[in-house]
Amino acid sequence: MAEAATGAVRVERVRGRSALTRCFARYPLKLIAPSKVGPSSCDAVWLYALTYGGGIVSGDTVSCTVSVGDGCTVAITTQASTKVYKAVGSKCSEQLLEARVGEDALLAVIPDPVTCFSTARYHQKQVFHVSANSNLVVVDWFTSGRYESGEKWDFSFYKSVNHIFLGDQPLFIDSTLLEQGSTYSIVERMQEYNVIAMVVLLGPKLRHIQDKMQDEVKKLMSGQLRPPTSGGSLYTMRSQLPQHPQRPQLVASCSPFGRTGTGMVARVAAVNTELAYSFLRHRLAELEPFLGAPPYAAS
Amino acid sequence: MYSPNSLAQLVPNVLYLLKSLVLEIVPSTLLMLMESDSPVSKKSRLFHTEDCEMEEVPSNAVGVNPSLQWTQWQILDSILPTGGFAHSYGLEAAMQSRMVNNQDDLKSFVIQVLDNTGSLLLPFVYCASKSPDAAAWIKLDQLLEATLTNEVARKASTSQGSALLRVAASVFTESQALQDLRRTFLGSKSVSFHHASIFGLICGLVGFDSETAQRAYMFVTMRDVFSAATRLNLIGPLAASVLQHQVAPDAEGMMQKWRDRDVSEASQTAPLLDVLQGCHAYMFSRLFSS
Repeated sequence: MAEAATGAVRVERVRGRSALTRCFARYPLKLIAPSKVGPSSCDAVWLYALTYGGGIVSGDTVSCTVSVGDGCTVAITTQASTKVYKAVGSKCSEQLLEARVGEDALLAVIPDPVTCFSTARYHQKQVFHVSANSNLVVVDWFTSGRYESGEKWDFSFYKSVNHIFLGDQPLFIDSTLLEQGSTYSIVERMQEYNVIAMVVLLGPKLRHIQDKMQDEVKKLMSGQLRPPTSGGSLYTMRSQLPQHPQRPQLVASCSPFGRTGTGMVARVAAVNTELAYSFLRHRLAELEPFLGAPPYAAS
Repeated sequence: MYSPNSLAQLVPNVLYLLKSLVLEIVPSTLLMLMESDSPVSKKSRLFHTEDCEMEEVPSNAVGVNPSLQWTQWQILDSILPTGGFAHSYGLEAAMQSRMVNNQDDLKSFVIQVLDNTGSLLLPFVYCASKSPDAAAWIKLDQLLEATLTNEVARKASTSQGSALLRVAASVFTESQALQDLRRTFLGSKSVSFHHASIFGLICGLVGFDSETAQRAYMFVTMRDVFSAATRLNLIGPLAASVLQHQVAPDAEGMMQKWRDRDVSEASQTAPLLDVLQGCHAYMFSRLFSS
């Protein structure tokens, strides 16, 4: 991947602060590193990954390597959702990220969602190499497409892979594949939900955020789950209520991972992007002390 | 008559009692009790089941080893005490979030669960059954531990897998490899005994070919979801059998689609169901452990 990479970033500790010592990008990737995202007292490098035209055309590959040195903090984000344009033939649009996170370092990958247009084919792979006390935030999310204009789960292929390795041991292996052509179409599988999101929080610095998120998600969901028999038997309920009784607008669940439980993943399904943004904004607000600015702040 | 579901709801403490009951008494007794709940209309479908076949159980008669066939049937039999009946594969959470409300929803749910099982777990069954040795199996087990990122599914997988190994080691005493495996690893902290890789390993050791092992895994998954659906009072046992027969071609199609893949290709294909299954632990009253 190194030779073909369209971007390479290295952040190291220089005079006691996180400093961008390498920032290379070539078409179709552009990297912007504004220095005033947060207050100067906060030690974090922010990077905006942009693509020309706001998205990735069919056949293009955006690949980036990121190295976060010991004790450094880096946030990588985008300016708006990443569009994946209609596929030309069977060609895929691709995004690859390979990152190393040093000891006591923090990497936050907090982009806007990926939006695949109709017929689009998209493949994304992110590999993170961490050490025992690295800290990592990964938000990986995608929408059904331009659903406001009727393009709902209409892309052809979507695959997102997230791997986290601790040394050579797999710590978190996640792969989501959505493809047209199964017994049930993607829209049938997704019902009225338009957004699927995943939040990974790993490392000792993020412990309290993990715990809080788990508590809040549990509180949020337990009120919405109830046995179908609570209003009489299932069969009487079926005749009284419309075909699909009210479902939660946002469904979320959290799971710890890793043998010592150092990681946590939250998965979210939401009927619209605003709900998902609001969930992320509230649940990740406590990253502000580390990053200097809250992720997904209302713009 | 109270269904187990409403009972569990009235008295949450009964839940554990019920679970153990379900596991210990012959399941069919319980299912017969529940048949009175199934609407009469479904009973008319009996006519379509006259050719009720056992196509899930491989029976290629020519040159088949009779003792292998007895073994196969035993492994697929729901009486094998591996605890599959304690799991609903997310169905209970899907019902409590009103995602599955009726038989049509159930059919779609089962097919999605099978699709997801095929894409995510069949590679592990395949790889374990193809080279059933301890060293390769440990690698698969560790990879599966990292792959099952949903805690509910992960715990269900380890509890079923370790139960299956214990049962298989007790039953198939002729397999030295199984005895060694149990002696060496049961109680070990470094392995988790995930179901898919243990299932594949045992199938490989008792002599299943890898295609049969993969089809068998799809079958036990489907069997357990339907069993859960009847006990959740979503469908009567007869209607469940009818639906099982209808879904079998889909299950076979998915087995063919996802079979013989390497574990590097394992992916989940039902993200919504995954989110829902993760909610299982948040439910105030529940009948199943996953």
